[in-house]
Amino acid sequence: MSAPPANITLTSSDGVDISVERQVAERSILIKNLLDDLPEEANTESIPIPNVNEVVLKKVLEWCEHHKKDPPASADDDADSRKKSTDIDEWDQKFMQVDQEMLFEIILAANYLDIKALLDVGCKTVANMIKGKTPDEIRKTFNIQNDFTPEEEEQIRRENEWAEE
Amino acid sequence: MAAIQGMPPMPNKEDSDATWRYLELGVDRIMSDLKKGMDMKTYMGLYTAIHNFCTAQKAVGTGQFSPHNRGGAHLLGEDLYNHLILYLQKHLGGVHAESKKHNDEALLSFYIKEWDRYTMAASYNNHLFRYLNRHWVKREMDEGKKHIYDIYTLHLVRWKEDMFLATQKSVMDSVLRLVEKQRNGETIEQSQIKSVVDSFVSLGLDESDSTKSTLDVYKQFFEAPFLQATAKYYQKESNDFLAENTVVEYMKKAETRLQEEKDRVSLYLLSEITGPLMRTCEQSMIAAHSITLREEFQNLLDHDRQEDLGRMYKLLARIPDGLDPLRNKFETHVRKAGLAAVERVAADGENMDPKIYVHALLEVHTQYHDLVQKAFNGESEFVRSLDNACKEFVNRNKVCKSGSTKSPELLAKYTDTLLKKSSAKASEEDDMEKMLTQIMVVFKYIEDKDVFQKFYSRMLAKRLVQTSSASDDAETSMIGKLKEACGFEYTNKLQRMFQDIQTSKDLNTEYRDWQSEQLGAEDAKNVVDTSFHILGTGFWPLTPPAHGFVPPQEIVKMRDRFQNYYLHKHAGRKLTWLWQLCKGEVKANFVKTNKIPYTFQVSTYQMAVLLLFNEKETISYDEIQQTTQIAPETLDPSIAICVRARVFNVTPEGGKPESGTTYSINQGFKNKKLKINLNINIKSEQKQEVEDTHKTIEEDRKLLMQSAIVRIMKSRKKMKHSQLVSETIAQIKSRFTPKVSDIKWCIDMLLEKEYLERLEDDNLGYLA
Repeated sequence: MSAPPANITLTSSDGVDISVERQVAERSILIKNLLDDLPEEANTESIPIPNVNEVVLKKVLEWCEHHKKDPPASADDDADSRKKSTDIDEWDQKFMQVDQEMLFEIILAANYLDIKALLDVGCKTVANMIKGKTPDEIRKTFNIQNDFTPEEEEQIRRENEWAEE
Repeated sequence: MAAIQGMPPMPNKEDSDATWRYLELGVDRIMSDLKKGMDMKTYMGLYTAIHNFCTAQKAVGTGQFSPHNRGGAHLLGEDLYNHLILYLQKHLGGVHAESKKHNDEALLSFYIKEWDRYTMAASYNNHLFRYLNRHWVKREMDEGKKHIYDIYTLHLVRWKEDMFLATQKSVMDSVLRLVEKQRNGETIEQSQIKSVVDSFVSLGLDESDSTKSTLDVYKQFFEAPFLQATAKYYQKESNDFLAENTVVEYMKKAETRLQEEKDRVSLYLLSEITGPLMRTCEQSMIAAHSITLREEFQNLLDHDRQEDLGRMYKLLARIPDGLDPLRNKFETHVRKAGLAAVERVAADGENMDPKIYVHALLEVHTQYHDLVQKAFNGESEFVRSLDNACKEFVNRNKVCKSGSTKSPELLAKYTDTLLKKSSAKASEEDDMEKMLTQIMVVFKYIEDKDVFQKFYSRMLAKRLVQTSSASDDAETSMIGKLKEACGFEYTNKLQRMFQDIQTSKDLNTEYRDWQSEQLGAEDAKNVVDTSFHILGTGFWPLTPPAHGFVPPQEIVKMRDRFQNYYLHKHAGRKLTWLWQLCKGEVKANFVKTNKIPYTFQVSTYQMAVLLLFNEKETISYDEIQQTTQIAPETLDPSIAICVRARVFNVTPEGGKPESGTTYSINQGFKNKKLKINLNINIKSEQKQEVEDTHKTIEEDRKLLMQSAIVRIMKSRKKMKHSQLVSETIAQIKSRFTPKVSDIKWCIDMLLEKEYLERLEDDNLGYLA
């Protein structure tokens, strides 16, 4: 903690303190709002993050570190092309090359910490895992039980025929 | 870690009631005791509890708001949302009850304090409930649910419903009492009102889109009562003030008040109110008393109170149609002033001094033009009223009682005196330019511009022929001004006249060179020094002499030589000699008493008479008449001038110029000056000229109307009679105002001459 105002401490659910640049942590809107809302003197405490463990939190902070200079997402980002396309930049693709369990942990953490860009990247990664696969392959990939009867499945296929083209 | 005391451990995420109980503790702390602070653990705890609850697979629905399964990816949250509403309602109920204990300024302080605390808590809660906002609220709104708001907006909605509606009346009453105090001159705590305004504005939510705000609440609950109170206040004040003070004092008061109200807006009101507030004030202070104000207008005009007139103008200009009655009064006033000014200087038609007359007109115009510029802001409508009034009194006044042609005549005469040499006043060029500009001011109002043109061209002709013009520059400038005002056609002839004189100058130089080449040395001695003006017949308002004339031999020689030269140079042209305009100088060698001979400046007619005395000492009237062939009406006055100047001796003494009278040269002629001007304009001639001019005007007008009619018909081919008449008036108007009966006469003339034909239905046709 060489520069106290610039660095803050986060405490993971398993009780590990992680020191991080404030700018990096503020990629999380939750943390940003908290720091803005609470008076300065409260900021000397460490921030408990009860829903994320050390491994995942570190991984998330790694992403935040890399993206700390990104412009803050504006409110109307929903409409922009980033959301529609499944393109992911190279660094993020590499970052997301983790096992499935970790991938879902990251997505949950991003949702909890309110880091929209990370949440988007996570979801796109999952989407790319689904893209171009048959239902059976998808079931295999995500280890999902088929709970449709053959009749139900046939009906759904018919209804979605247009999308197969 | 210093958690808020009494904060229980994190609740079971699937238990809705337990979760709410946990949350309520936090929310309550935020709402009522935020100052004591909040620590990270509680903050994170509250946020996490909401997150966990919303992400729980299944909620244990024991509470009163059990989430109903809407199928698909249903998102929890409604429970929490409804719990929060109940909580806010309860909280605000308490605040409202408390507010009843306060009045006036204390109430305002309380309201503002509670509002600040509440909105601060709202923005805190909005962050803590962000997870709810992001998912459940967003989804509800995306699905088009009404009355679901993000958490911050929800706080505002609750305040409006549960607090604002019940207290706004007392709050507004307090505000209005405060404003009234300030209007009465007391000092008040303005920031309170500003805070109230801001809070009212914040409550303006757009029902269709909660991210936008409207001013509806503010307009209904603040602006409307505020304006109403303002109207009432100023109605009373202005009535009371007018009852005890003069209108002028009242106008000053109103001016101050309007400025105060305008300033008030920037002090603590919303700038949107400026328009309505000013309109309200204007209604109570000006429109309600506009009749009283206007009644004072005439009085102010009579006393030329420019500043107060300006004040009245500014006030009445603020209300719709406020100025129209003033304009009418102003127009009437200026017209009367103009007529009175003319009345004061009016003399008998013939003796009216053009200068005095024009100056009287100008003085009135200058005075009121100045007033319009300074007091009425140069407003175009007032300028028009001024123009209307001026047009009226310039063309119809005591001097013009015989007809509107008198004004242009006098104006042209005045212009002539300015442009003539020897007028001492026109010394400086700037002055001249200024005076010409003033002439154009009057000219603008002249209806019979053709009359001015007639007189002007005659007088210009005279100035040019007699080389009595003061300056070429001034002449050019004046013609330029007329051209600008009336167009090329109007000044075409004037310009051509001017050109003729320039051309003649060159011609004379050439002629003199030619002459000196032609003549031998002996002949050259006897040459009379001459100069000639060649004037284009169509452009000059001049007519050849009405009677015969036998010029003296000396002149005949010169004439023939020039004529020879000129006709050789320009074959096929015809020269007509305008003897009546010629003049010359003769040396009186007969006077022996003076060493240097006297020089007489004479007309050519007088020259012819005088030269007769080179042959004989005494000549009878009949002899003179026979030799020169000059008609008596010209001859008699010409001789009379010489008699009066004692150039001639008359026998019998005092004899009239008629048969039996004889004349001889006065050898003992004496005069202080060496150069004596005998070429004096004859009065009867001048009068005759004016009459002639007027006569030609009538004729020219008929021609002008006929040519206009033919032009119109040529392009239209067929037209209704009445339409033709009005079209003709429109075309001619810039020159003079034609009478309908004259136009009808002209149409009849054209029918007779078969330029036009009558068709069915009162139509006229054009016959090529």
